[in-house]
Formats: sequence, structure tokens, C-alpha cells
Amino acid sequence: MSEMWINMGPQHPMTHGLWNLRVRIDGELVLEVDPEMGYLHRGIEKISEDRHYNEVITLMDRTCYVAGMAWENLFILGAEQALHVEPPERAKWIRTLSEEFQRIGSHVMWYAAFVQDIGLMAPFLYGMRDRDLVLDLFQSYTGARMTYEYNRVGGVRNDLPPGFIDRARKVCDWLLDRFQEYDDLCLGSDIFRKRCDGLGVLKAADCVRAGITGPMLRSAGVKRDVRKDRPYNAYDQVEFDVAVADGADVTARYLVRMEELRQSVRIIRQCLDWLERNPGPAMAENLPRWMGAPYAPVGKEGYLLKRNYPKGVGLSAIEEPHGEALAYVVNEGGEHPYRVKLKSPIFTNLSAAKHYLVGYRVADIPPIMGSVDVCVGEVDR
Amino acid sequence: MEASARLFQRDLMGKLSKRFPTGFLGLDPFPGTFGRIRFDPAIALELFREIRDVHAFEHLAMVAGIDWVERREVLYTVWSDVHRGYLLLSAMLPAERPHIETATTVWPSANWHERETWELVDITFDHHPDLRNLLLPTGYQFHPLLRSFKLHEPEELEVKVRHV
Repeated sequence: MSEMWINMGPQHPMTHGLWNLRVRIDGELVLEVDPEMGYLHRGIEKISEDRHYNEVITLMDRTCYVAGMAWENLFILGAEQALHVEPPERAKWIRTLSEEFQRIGSHVMWYAAFVQDIGLMAPFLYGMRDRDLVLDLFQSYTGARMTYEYNRVGGVRNDLPPGFIDRARKVCDWLLDRFQEYDDLCLGSDIFRKRCDGLGVLKAADCVRAGITGPMLRSAGVKRDVRKDRPYNAYDQVEFDVAVADGADVTARYLVRMEELRQSVRIIRQCLDWLERNPGPAMAENLPRWMGAPYAPVGKEGYLLKRNYPKGVGLSAIEEPHGEALAYVVNEGGEHPYRVKLKSPIFTNLSAAKHYLVGYRVADIPPIMGSVDVCVGEVDR
Repeated sequence: MEASARLFQRDLMGKLSKRFPTGFLGLDPFPGTFGRIRFDPAIALELFREIRDVHAFEHLAMVAGIDWVERREVLYTVWSDVHRGYLLLSAMLPAERPHIETATTVWPSANWHERETWELVDITFDHHPDLRNLLLPTGYQFHPLLRSFKLHEPEELEVKVRHV
């Protein structure tokens, strides 16, 4: 049969966002792929150079719109290193708690969308229902469900509200039972197994060479997790296991994410215990007022106050729900960062698309790309 | 980054300065990492190979370009599963036609990172297999992450007093 190029995207149910997967096919066989990005490029790195550090957080929520809190954490860690600010212990624990709730939100959202892609409708509804409980919790202490703007240089905007810890514990209990149901629905389903087993295989050595990180890498048996290897916030004080599988295929990625959900609940419970026992400030004291929460950086003269701050540069790395994310923040003494560089895990996971798509059939593309968990916002930035 | 990290750092510095007597310009401390290596772009490819094969930094995490107006910096962040830490490699390029050898032959994951750096910061990566626009439209004339690319004129930045 003659070969041809087809476009899967930018409007295609598989893409989960605006991007275009160009595929060269021979009949049903995939011969070559070329992801086309840039549909959602908003210039976040450039706009950041024109904003106060605390204003950049607004952009970070929009970098990955299903994992806004993780990106806030990432940037704020880099910014604090660049600005020589140390947050109080309680803020670190609240950030850890937030990031794990965000991981649950993101993974459950992934579960809902991915399982719908392969033809199971009911799990989508269950997933969205359970994610809403996490969003309710976020709303109760940040005021927003997706774009939180909660972190600040030197801590977090406000402490947890009364009654939060009990509510969060109830949600954790509820979620753990639901995760078992998810497994029953998927692993017990013939449709799921037939469409996922042995698909999109990428072995450990190839993953490392292609720069792949996150659940995709761990599904190939490589035990690399920034939270364990280079702990930040309070991750050095909580107990959890790094989820790994050895199938290196779509099912293995599902298993890794499901185990990560359970580990997240485990971390959250430890955070809640610590936060219950240790009241204290959630914001560093003696910060310059322009940097402190909850004020906007406004002085009597307006925005453009000229000050001289000590220069600095920060590199932060976190285990975002999708993998290893990095931020490089350069502070040249102004109120705005001189340069913000963000590295998204999906950016590299997607750049290796040819390694896990070529040789499979066209109908295999949706489950494989679903297992990658693409969020275009953080690829294009 | 405790004593063992400092030891590794000193060891790395000794080995690299012996291997590259002219091209290796130093290793600066950088909090939270094994440090930042400054190197001459002329030795780029040999240094990358050395770093990956001899010192086991097998994962290229990030390539960043920074415009310092009179010069341009290209910064590689690499990770080692053996040593469990990041290492930064930094080269200063002239602002006039900045170019450096591609890292894709050593770390294939550099491909998209270098495409992005090329289009946003205008740093050319020699012998890159596929240097074309990634995030910006094909044929876009500007490099938005250069300092000379202004978002708006300075007078528009004046913001009136806001009372809080």
C-alpha cells in the first residue's frame, strides 16, 4: 500500500490539548512520527522577565493547568535560592502536602482521560468525581480549584483553615478505596488488557538515552525519583516508596501511576500528622514588605521601585506528576528575574515519540500517547 | 551535598583539568549540585563524551540559553544515577554569531532542547540533525528570549499608585 502522512491533531481526541502528531503510515503501520508543538506557546519564560517574582507564580499555574501547584513549588524553590530566602518549616510541609494532592489530582485526571481513550466510559466519570474532592480541598485553603497562586517567596500565602486536616483525612480514606475500584475496573477488563499489554514498549536503556523521566522511566524499572534522590521541601522527612514496574509498556505505566497514588496518600497522611502537631508561621518573618505575603509588590511610587538586592542564581528540581521538572532562575539584583528557564518532563518524553510509536498500528497511538500523559501547557510554555 | 560531594567535586576538577589543560576553565561551587563547569566551546564534544562515559552523567536534563547582551551563555544540566546529583556545564559564546557543537550525538535527548534554544536565544548548534522551529512558527524572524526583544516600551511600564 502507498505511504502517506496524516495529521493527528491539533484537534484530535488523542492529543489532550493543542498539538499535532504527524504520522507517516503504510496502511495501518506507523513508519515515522513527527510531533509538531507550539500551538500553546505563550512565552511564559519571556513574560516572567517582566514581572515581580511573586507575580510569576500566576504564570506557573498556567504552565501545566492540571498540576499548577507542582509548578508553583518548582519556581518558588528556584526563586528562593536565587533570592537567598529560606521558608519556615511549616511552609515546607504545606508545600509537600499540596504537591502530593496535586499529584493525585493529576494522576486521577490522567486515569479518567486515558481510560476513556481506550473505550471505557464509566471510569472517566468515577475519575472526574474523585478529582473534584481534591479540588474542593484546594479551594478550601487557596480559594481556587486550578490556578491557585498560593506560594510566595518565603512561604505560602495563608495557613490551612480550621477543620481542613479532618476533611483531608476523610478524602484520603475515600480515595484509597476508590483506587482499588479503579484497578478492578481496568485490570479486570479484557478490553483494557488487550489494548494495553505489550504496547509502546521502551526498555530502560532506551528511556535513559532518550532523556525520559517520571512514571514512564519507572515503568521500565529505573528507580529514579527526584523526591528520593535529591529531596526538597519535607520529602527527606516522610516515608514512601518509589513506585516501579518492569513491563515498560502501557500497562506498566498504569501500574506505576496507581502505586504512586497510594504512596501520595501515604505521604499526605504523614504531612497531616506533622501539621496537626506543629503550628507555626507559614511565612518567613522579616522579609522585605515587597516580598511578603499577602501584599502585592506595590510601593508609594508604583511598581518600578529601584532597589539593590543581592544577586543570585537558583536551580530547583522537583518530581512533578509527569516526571523531573527543572527551573533555573537568574537574579541580577532587580525586582524581576533576569532569566527563568523551565524544563518540562513531557517536553523530553514527547521528543522521544518515535522510539515508542514506530512499528505499532495507528489504532495503538491513542493508548500509547495516553500512557505518556501529555500536558501541552508545560511543553509549549 | 556534604563531604562526599565535595570530595567528588575536587576529584572531578583534578581529572578534567588534566584531561583538558586548555579548554577546561574551572569548576565553580553551585548550591545543591556538584558545581558548574566552565568550558571553552572548542572542547564541547570531547567534554560531553568525557562527562557521560567516564563520569557517568548519562541523563541530560536541560539545555538553557541566557543572553548576557555582550555574550551568550549556554548551560547544560546533567544528572548521574551513580552519583545522584546534578552537574552544570556552562560555555560563554560571543554575541556575534554564537555557535557550539551539538550534544545530540552524546545525549540524544538534547535534540528538542537545542531546537528550542536555537529559536528562542539564537544559539546555533553545529551538526544538529534537525535544526528547525519547534515552538515558534516556521520562518519566524525574531528570537524572543534575547534582551533586545522588548515586550513593550519602557514608558508603558509606568504604573500609577495603587492603594492597599
